[in-house]
Amino acid sequence: MSGITSASFLARRAAQRERVRILYRRALRDTLNWAVHRHLFYPDADALRERFEANRKVEDIETIDRLIADGEASYNKWRHPDPYIVPWAPGGSKFNRNPVPPEGIEIVYDYGKEEAELV
Amino acid sequence: MQRLRSSILKYVGVRVPLRVVSFQAEGRSALNILNLQIRTCSNSGATNQDQIKEQVLNLVKKFDKIDATKVTESADFQKDLSLDSLDRVELVMAFEQEFSIEIPDEEADKLKCCADVAQYIISGAEKKAQECS
Repeated sequence: MSGITSASFLARRAAQRERVRILYRRALRDTLNWAVHRHLFYPDADALRERFEANRKVEDIETIDRLIADGEASYNKWRHPDPYIVPWAPGGSKFNRNPVPPEGIEIVYDYGKEEAELV
Repeated sequence: MQRLRSSILKYVGVRVPLRVVSFQAEGRSALNILNLQIRTCSNSGATNQDQIKEQVLNLVKKFDKIDATKVTESADFQKDLSLDSLDRVELVMAFEQEFSIEIPDEEADKLKCCADVAQYIISGAEKKAQECS
């Protein structure tokens, strides 16, 4: 009997560990949306880590569950509404936008017809 | 002007299929190396995988919770370098930034040492090259 309970206990602990890991990863990525520049990101990331470290020593399984739920709720509440996209990446504000060619340069829009002229 | 343009176009039109043929003759590796070169901005193809490994090792050495003297290719992040799970998340984030790739959660779990990471990055680059071609 005790074998079964300890196995289920371990499974539950492993699941919790996984949840914390995923929560930390998501939160860290979200921090990058709030603080785009590196010198702003590092203190924020340290603060996030401290919030996780504060509950490192918690042993009671129910308390851990509650803490994780709290953390997930807090993550969902503070999730960035408009995640940062690098401007020239797909979806970014500069994506597929090219400057107008300078004066005196002409673009001939007849792609594919050049071969016909040769004949 | 028209003659010049058409001759250039003809030249290019001949060149493009020729290059494709030569790549196919050398197999996939040429394309992969080309792709990796673009990603890492290096100029020698043969040592490219070594360069990625080097880059990974240097990055791991710079991570401030790791003792740089202990870092080797096969040192386990968790056992040998005494990182906890959250440190590993941070490390994976650092790899993602450095190589501008996305590592999914399941894959991130499997990366246990520097050699794994280098292998994952190289295989990811190869996959991308195959999709492009």
